[in-house]
Amino acid sequence: MPIHDQGYRRYGGARTPRGQAWIVIAKAGMRTFLAKKAFLGLLLISWFPFFVRAVQVYAAANFPQARQLLAIKPETFRQFLDQQNIWVFFITVYVGAGLIANDRRANALQLYLSKPLTRAEYVFGKLVILATFLLLVTWVPAILLLILQIMFAGNLTFFKENLFLFPAITLFSFVQALTVSAAMLALSSLSNSSRYVGILYTALIFFTTALGGVLAFALGLQHAEAGTGRPGVSWISPSADLAQIGDAIFRLPLRNDSPLLLSLFIIVLLVVVSGAVLERRVRGVEVVA
Amino acid sequence: MTTTAAAPDIVTTEHLSKWYGQVIGLNDVTLTVPSGITGLLGPNGAGKSTFMKLITGQLKPSKGGITVLGEPIWRNPKLYFRIGFCPEQDAFYDRMTGLEWITALSRLNGVGEAEAGAMARRALDLVDLADSAGKKIGAYSKGMRQRVKLAQALAHDPDLLILDEPLGGMDPIARRKTIRLIKDWGRAGKSVIVSSHILHEIESMTSNILLINQGRILAEGNVHQIRDLIDEHPHTVYIKADETRALARQFLTYDDVLSLKFEDDAVVVQTGRPDAFYARLTELAASGELGTIHEVTSPDDNLQAVFQYLVKA
Repeated sequence: MPIHDQGYRRYGGARTPRGQAWIVIAKAGMRTFLAKKAFLGLLLISWFPFFVRAVQVYAAANFPQARQLLAIKPETFRQFLDQQNIWVFFITVYVGAGLIANDRRANALQLYLSKPLTRAEYVFGKLVILATFLLLVTWVPAILLLILQIMFAGNLTFFKENLFLFPAITLFSFVQALTVSAAMLALSSLSNSSRYVGILYTALIFFTTALGGVLAFALGLQHAEAGTGRPGVSWISPSADLAQIGDAIFRLPLRNDSPLLLSLFIIVLLVVVSGAVLERRVRGVEVVA
Repeated sequence: MTTTAAAPDIVTTEHLSKWYGQVIGLNDVTLTVPSGITGLLGPNGAGKSTFMKLITGQLKPSKGGITVLGEPIWRNPKLYFRIGFCPEQDAFYDRMTGLEWITALSRLNGVGEAEAGAMARRALDLVDLADSAGKKIGAYSKGMRQRVKLAQALAHDPDLLILDEPLGGMDPIARRKTIRLIKDWGRAGKSVIVSSHILHEIESMTSNILLINQGRILAEGNVHQIRDLIDEHPHTVYIKADETRALARQFLTYDDVLSLKFEDDAVVVQTGRPDAFYARLTELAASGELGTIHEVTSPDDNLQAVFQYLVKA
């Protein structure tokens, strides 16, 4: 029987349901970073504070003489997340700066968006890459610490007395990851150079913090404290706003002088503006009118 | 353009216009493109790429409507399962291999890793890049980069291929193979819309053309009707090769070569009969007698002269 060339044959198997193309983007991005030794090194170092805290939890649970000094309180978890901010910054710059900028430089957006992939799926996939790595250095170690505390204590007393801790760690970590990821993605969509985006992000973080300090000094508000009723200007810095929200979530006194609602408003505004920038900048074809 | 019931229209536009601020990219275009291979011919800035981007749903029409394969294309990503697009500009990561890049893009068609890899290998084989599939794209020649772009467009076996200047920068042999591939695709019952600013390129793939200039469709139908006009104008060909002087000596023996000059590692030829010239050039490249020919391009001022003539006529 003669065999004829049947040419190119269409794929007849199952396809991923529509709306899940973001998984492909997210998986590919994560795999790219996990293949880099430098990034794995950064992830490893970012877990160092966790190991220190784990020793603290162990010592507090097992050595009565250390209990006084190293006692585990709800604040301990808030302090741990505060300590992780430096790693959040490094990972945001390392991972986030090139997420869209590199695709823009390679002209890849045009091809991505000529496939069955919506712009929203593309952005969400990219967001998931950065947010996942951020949660890997905030939420995951913080929850592990909580589990370690229960294990080493050998009872659920601390956990039951502080039932709010699990949702507080989860809520704050996710709010932080979403805000930081959205802002970084928006910046990444503004340029073709990941280096420039990294510098821009760094400058924005430090500039807004410094500006808050300068304004406070100029307006004579440098001694304004939370709860005094005096208006402050720390809300100018998104980092300070996130810290403020974190304190509220962990039921701790607010550290900054600006109202909580104002900090919340700034963070929501930042996410909305980032969304608007992404909506405008993530296109297969750049139209310069 | 006439259509038949057996061959449904693949693209239909109704008063389609696109403005970029004050600049008009496409002006009130109403047409139907039948199935099969259709060439979109026009000089640089004529509106070809704008038209292609509208067909692929990457641009929103300023006015009018467009349907592709019977459905509106704007914000209709599911239609991309049936469309393959090869853009004019390079669009890839140099650090990735051809296989990795095509596999990654194929994954966006909703298939698993293994199937995407198989699709990518088949597509690379189809464009004669199987041997270089594991090489980084950064090490590819311009012609290979063109072919890897083409491979990503056809990897998922689309019903409609949209190719924006697919032959630019290819060497004569790759050019011939790609033309054959496009024709085979058409023969297999698929549709292709291919743009170029070189008439004989389009003519070697199809006789069905759309002539576009300054955002307007000037003519549509059979290529032979404008063929004579084109032939009246000399055609410039830029050939990048190892042995430019030996090639030039050979070209001087052809009676259709009107002039030639050297530019760096290339020879620039003006010919009165582009078809005959390209046919001989392909034979020369295949024989390898006069060294390797790396790249053949043609500036679009060839066609510009014809369009100026058509518009003024």
